[in-house]
Amino acid sequence: MNCEVCQLKELEVEHFEIREVLRCILHTIVFHRALGLVRPKDIDSELFEITYVQCGDAELEKKIEEKIDQFIGWVEKHPNKKSQATWFSNKTERLYWEQWYINLNVAQQPKAHFAKSHHSKVVVDPGECALVERSVRRAALEAALREVLFQIIKFVNEKRDHIPPVPNVEGVSFPYEITIPSSSDSSFGMDVIKRMLQTGHPTMLS
Amino acid sequence: MASSQSNIHSESAKIEQIITEFFTKSLHIILESRSPCVSSRNYSGEQILSSPSSSSSSSSSVKPRDKWFNLALRVCPSALENIDLWRQSNQEPMVVDVILIQRPTDLDPVRCSPRRGLARNYSLKERFRNCWNPGQEEYPSEVKREKIIERWIVQYESRKSRDSSSGGKRTGSTSSHSLYKKSIILLRSLYVTVRLLPAYKLFRDLNSSGQIHTFNLDHRVCSFVEPFTRREEAEMQQFGFMPIDTNGGRLSLSVLYHPKLSDVNLESSTPISTQLIPDYVGSPMTDPLKRFPSLPVTTHVSPSSAPFCRRHSWSYDLYGASAPSASPSPSPTYSDSRGFPSNMTSNRLPPTSSPHHPPETPLSSNTSLAHNKNTSFDEYWPSPTFSPSPSPSPPTHVPGDHLSKALLRSESAPVSISAAKLGGSPGLPTTHMLPPSPSLKGTRPGLQIDNVRAPARPADVQTCITAQKILYAGRDEVGNLSGAKISSNSSPRISFSRSSSRLSFQDEFDGSDFACPFAVDDDDLMDLHTRPESFDGKRLLSEPLEPGGLFPIRKSQDAAVGSLVRMLKTAPPLHHDSNSFKLSRASEPENRSKSTKEAEETSDLEVKEVQNTASCSSFTSSRLLMSKTTADALEELQGYREIKELLLRQSSRSQTVANDAHVAQSVSGDTK
Repeated sequence: MNCEVCQLKELEVEHFEIREVLRCILHTIVFHRALGLVRPKDIDSELFEITYVQCGDAELEKKIEEKIDQFIGWVEKHPNKKSQATWFSNKTERLYWEQWYINLNVAQQPKAHFAKSHHSKVVVDPGECALVERSVRRAALEAALREVLFQIIKFVNEKRDHIPPVPNVEGVSFPYEITIPSSSDSSFGMDVIKRMLQTGHPTMLS
Repeated sequence: MASSQSNIHSESAKIEQIITEFFTKSLHIILESRSPCVSSRNYSGEQILSSPSSSSSSSSSVKPRDKWFNLALRVCPSALENIDLWRQSNQEPMVVDVILIQRPTDLDPVRCSPRRGLARNYSLKERFRNCWNPGQEEYPSEVKREKIIERWIVQYESRKSRDSSSGGKRTGSTSSHSLYKKSIILLRSLYVTVRLLPAYKLFRDLNSSGQIHTFNLDHRVCSFVEPFTRREEAEMQQFGFMPIDTNGGRLSLSVLYHPKLSDVNLESSTPISTQLIPDYVGSPMTDPLKRFPSLPVTTHVSPSSAPFCRRHSWSYDLYGASAPSASPSPSPTYSDSRGFPSNMTSNRLPPTSSPHHPPETPLSSNTSLAHNKNTSFDEYWPSPTFSPSPSPSPPTHVPGDHLSKALLRSESAPVSISAAKLGGSPGLPTTHMLPPSPSLKGTRPGLQIDNVRAPARPADVQTCITAQKILYAGRDEVGNLSGAKISSNSSPRISFSRSSSRLSFQDEFDGSDFACPFAVDDDDLMDLHTRPESFDGKRLLSEPLEPGGLFPIRKSQDAAVGSLVRMLKTAPPLHHDSNSFKLSRASEPENRSKSTKEAEETSDLEVKEVQNTASCSSFTSSRLLMSKTTADALEELQGYREIKELLLRQSSRSQTVANDAHVAQSVSGDTK
């Protein structure tokens, strides 16, 4: 079985934007992969002019929120990690047939930076500039997020042959797993490789 | 063979059915998020529950059609109306145009009439059949501007050449199961995509309630459309989903869309809904004498009090915290506007500088800043207990203009005004206080308090009641006006807000010889609430004044001050121990002006009399007078009586001394 891997475009986000960005991405992926009977639910993003779709599965939503919380907690503990990612994998009998890498570049807190490099008197002005800069960043992030969502749409439409048969179930049709990075950089990479080896990915074994 | 043939046929039939349902489902998804009339987002909870295809319903209540492609959607009538053709044959492509209709802002709704069959006007309709346009019934075509912002194309290209019956071939990729699975994914992608495109925002805006839009969305479902011109196509972007190959053809879905709709005039406006502003306080320019029902009815009306202390939303800029002079009562010694801080020219009292701020009260906290709004009126204007200056006219109208100004400028103005006026002496710091009227001086020498720290005369105090009583009603802060009690009847206390006005007032009198009971360096407060009890409950100028509501602004306060001045002027001389102070005397200003001593006033103050006085005084703010209550009047009467007695004693003593001296001289002269 092929294990299709999709590396999503890296997004530069601020700490408070992580949740909404991950919600958009994870729910969009799940909506395309929960091929059982769903009753779609439109959700307007709190931070962006984006409407994403949920499957309407409360348990799924809860699990996603828990994973997002874990990821945010992990980011708080490891603020120096630039490229952090969660990865979403579909598996059947612990055979991963698809993996999604969500790459987020969590920006550092701007306040700390200002405190270090600017005089206290200058703080007032940078505040206004920070607002403008934040709005620009927000617009750029929204556009980038849209690109990521379209990237998901294109991927799910291009790669369809590796999908197992759809069971006659409601909601989530295939088991899935959302994994956040482990405590150390090195181990995270190793974990990914180990998983891929366990699944017997033909390309890895060769 | 037969079984394979039947399998092939069944498989073909299944594929055919899947394709047909795919057309239906795709049209449903597109129109559900592009047709403003029908939208799953518009469905309320009740509707959702009632709809069998609602997402919140259980699977058992989902209609069989809704289960197609495992995507349960809400009912979309637009889709049902337009799908008949492709139910019959899915060989025709299905083109869905999403049209943006913009109407001019000055569109006359009368001219717009629903028109059916508008599609017939299209050349497309004339040339091609099976094209249904629900019609833009909202706006006539001649006044609206249409623009195709999206074009969805769903088509199934059959491959006749690749006849599945040739070898009974069953390709996994083209099996019905595979087709169905891929169709599920494709429709999921379509569902997400329609919500990511720019037109979705227009759709949401149209569905938002309470918005008036200059645009509308319409759709047109055709089997064939005129291709875009080169220019139009250049403005659009294309997004194509990966087609699904089947044994009999290829199912494809693509969209041409405008990436940016910013060039479109999509202004929307929110209709102004009628709102009630319960605490609205009108501008003084509109209706200065407007009565606000929120004002509490006063129980005491002092003829000498001016109902100017009602704070208004516009008054805070004018009325800073002023020295607590107050009452625009009959006493002409009320301080006038000059008694206020020097920056009164800006109608704003300086910030409090005196350390002797009284405890801050709600009113005081509001007096210094124009923060308090209309809601403060009820709080700080429980009862107009002072004789109002009936005229809201500008201060220039009356001699007591300055006084009026002073009253108007500060919530605590009456106190300071009266304090200054009570002094009425050259000792008054003219730089800060308006000079007392000469007539007042003459008529009420006793009211001339030379020493700021002199014991507060009752009359002084009473005269200072004014609107301060109302302003500071409810306050428990009671200060001694230079240590003096105000009245023997009660202990009315002028509440001095811990405002700049009062403190500045105090600053003015620091070091001055002006003996104003209110020019104290301590927190002097008069509990205006106590006043009502001292009266017999006779309402003076209460009810009629209340309808006027607030004592509007500076005009009324000026008028109140003016009325006070006039009352003081027309007050009977002190040596006339009159038991009844009749405000009608105010109508004889000439008498009062001649009199040097003031008789005490009686408490027989009627609302009408005050009003008459006000009218006689040509004050326009008669309602201010009405704010005085009987209690205030009685208090003032008592004050005047005490002042009279004091003056009489003083005069008698002085006369005695003079007589003795005269006798001594005569004796000495005789002896010589």
